[in-house]
Amino acid sequence: MTIVELPLTVFVVDDEPPARNRIKELLGDCSDQLPLEVVGEAGNGREALAKLSEISADVVLVDIRMPQMDGIELAKHLNKLPKPPVVIFTTAYDSYAIKAFELHAIDYLLKPIRLGRLFDALSHARTAVPLRTEELRELTPEPRKNLSIHERGKVHLIPIQEVLYLRAELKYVTVRTVQHEYLIEEPLTALEKEFATRFIRIHRNCLVAKDEIAGFEKVTGEEDGETHWTVRLKGLSEMLPISRRQQFIVKEFG
Amino acid sequence: MPKVQSINQNLQPDTLPNFRNMGVTLRTVLLVNGMALLVGLAEAVSWIDLAQRMIDISALLQPVLLSNLLLLFVLDPLLKRLNYRQGVAAVLVLAGLVTLAIYRIGGELYSPSGEYGFFHAVRNALLGSSIAALLLAYFRLRVSALSPAVQESRMQALHARIRPHFLFNSINAVLGIIRADPRRAETALEDMSDLFRMAMAYSGNMVPARQEVSLAQQYLALEQLRLGERLKVTWHMEDMPGDALLPPLMLQPLLENAVYHGIEPLTEGGIIDIRLYRSGNEMHLEMYNPCQEQGDHHAGNKMALTNIRERLALQFDIEARYTVESGKDFYRVHIMLPYLKEENS
Repeated sequence: MTIVELPLTVFVVDDEPPARNRIKELLGDCSDQLPLEVVGEAGNGREALAKLSEISADVVLVDIRMPQMDGIELAKHLNKLPKPPVVIFTTAYDSYAIKAFELHAIDYLLKPIRLGRLFDALSHARTAVPLRTEELRELTPEPRKNLSIHERGKVHLIPIQEVLYLRAELKYVTVRTVQHEYLIEEPLTALEKEFATRFIRIHRNCLVAKDEIAGFEKVTGEEDGETHWTVRLKGLSEMLPISRRQQFIVKEFG
Repeated sequence: MPKVQSINQNLQPDTLPNFRNMGVTLRTVLLVNGMALLVGLAEAVSWIDLAQRMIDISALLQPVLLSNLLLLFVLDPLLKRLNYRQGVAAVLVLAGLVTLAIYRIGGELYSPSGEYGFFHAVRNALLGSSIAALLLAYFRLRVSALSPAVQESRMQALHARIRPHFLFNSINAVLGIIRADPRRAETALEDMSDLFRMAMAYSGNMVPARQEVSLAQQYLALEQLRLGERLKVTWHMEDMPGDALLPPLMLQPLLENAVYHGIEPLTEGGIIDIRLYRSGNEMHLEMYNPCQEQGDHHAGNKMALTNIRERLALQFDIEARYTVESGKDFYRVHIMLPYLKEENS
């Protein structure tokens, strides 16, 4: 009995229909020598994420410049999947991204893609290791537009505009929106750096959205009897304590 | 193909300024009066004295200045036929003679003491010619100071038009349809060829508006290939005279910006609205497009717009205006330039 290797499953993400068509044609050309199957395609990051929660793919070919969610953000969210696919980036022209790829020795395909290059990239895909989230973080200065959590085999997106505060608790960070509370496994310092325009640190373990600050109140602690400042956020009844070191915030945003 | 006229203000240093350009006229009036003020200031002993002196100087200066400007305006086409040296000589002689003539006509007014002898006549003629010479030198310097910018803006304009993002994506799109729809791929390559031919043959000469519009439409057809339904364009050209002259490739870079920054970042796409119309002696171009990006880190955007602004300033000085309105989710450009017609000779 011989072991029949399953065909490589490939998923294509690009916002331009002719570009997707081109890649599918080239994949068809590759399939003569490399057993592969195109399992789906998507026109933007959100759509891709939804589809890839349903079907699994070994390799995802991702265009970098796409509306709503760019390719690099998509790759970060794909890493939350139980079995993250190997992501191969494609781009027609993006000097910033290309510089970053070269710097981090990450493989990418230049559009128009050559058949030989695509074939090589796919041949190596089986043994390739998915990119680490830390590596992806260094590829772009742009913050993500969403945070993501893995929930029952699916990736759930939390738009960053809805997040009111981020609070570190032991191993996790609590993500609070008006409606829900989520837990993510990302260091608070990395989040603070990435979303510096939206959040400000009020305490060693807590970042709040600057635009969501409703007001400040002075509260007397029940145990120590000392007074300290707290911040109230729009839509939440909960009061968050401000540490002594960060008290300048009261003046700045009060 | 109809001959098109070049109405460049003056792109080579060795040409006389365009005396029919409002910018040239305004600069002349301001500079001459500035010089008069300096003379007055140098001689004055008090504020009252300064005012009195300025009135005296103006009495002779303003008629001389205005008659000179009027004559130059009228004679401009004739002066253009002369070479630079002859032109300069003609202007200097003209300025001297006009000064002399006005001084003579004014008679008593300018010399209450009755002393208008040979010296005064020569002095005034010399002053007139010298001021004219200074001004011509100023305009010549201004042009040579700007001419590296002309060269550079040509390069930039070329570069802005062949934006690599557009080039490689378009080639990729053509490759994407070549097997399924070869005929459409052929048309796309033809459009691309026209566009690049125009970009590379850049001459600075004005082109008829209808030619500029059809080139812009070829460009949009290429973008349509990539973006499909996402790109919608509405043209309003009912009040556009087809023979109006526009600087070449002014529309296309504007549209490319609108596509790159306005349409591409939207999943559902959007509408670019273009209005071209004539109002009196002015041609107007208004372009409106959605725009989501706030912190724009793409230098290309600013480059293309700066380039258009520089080209307009060089060609029309203050006769062209350019306004940009950038809102939370929209972007609007309004360009006004003098209405010039194509010559059919």
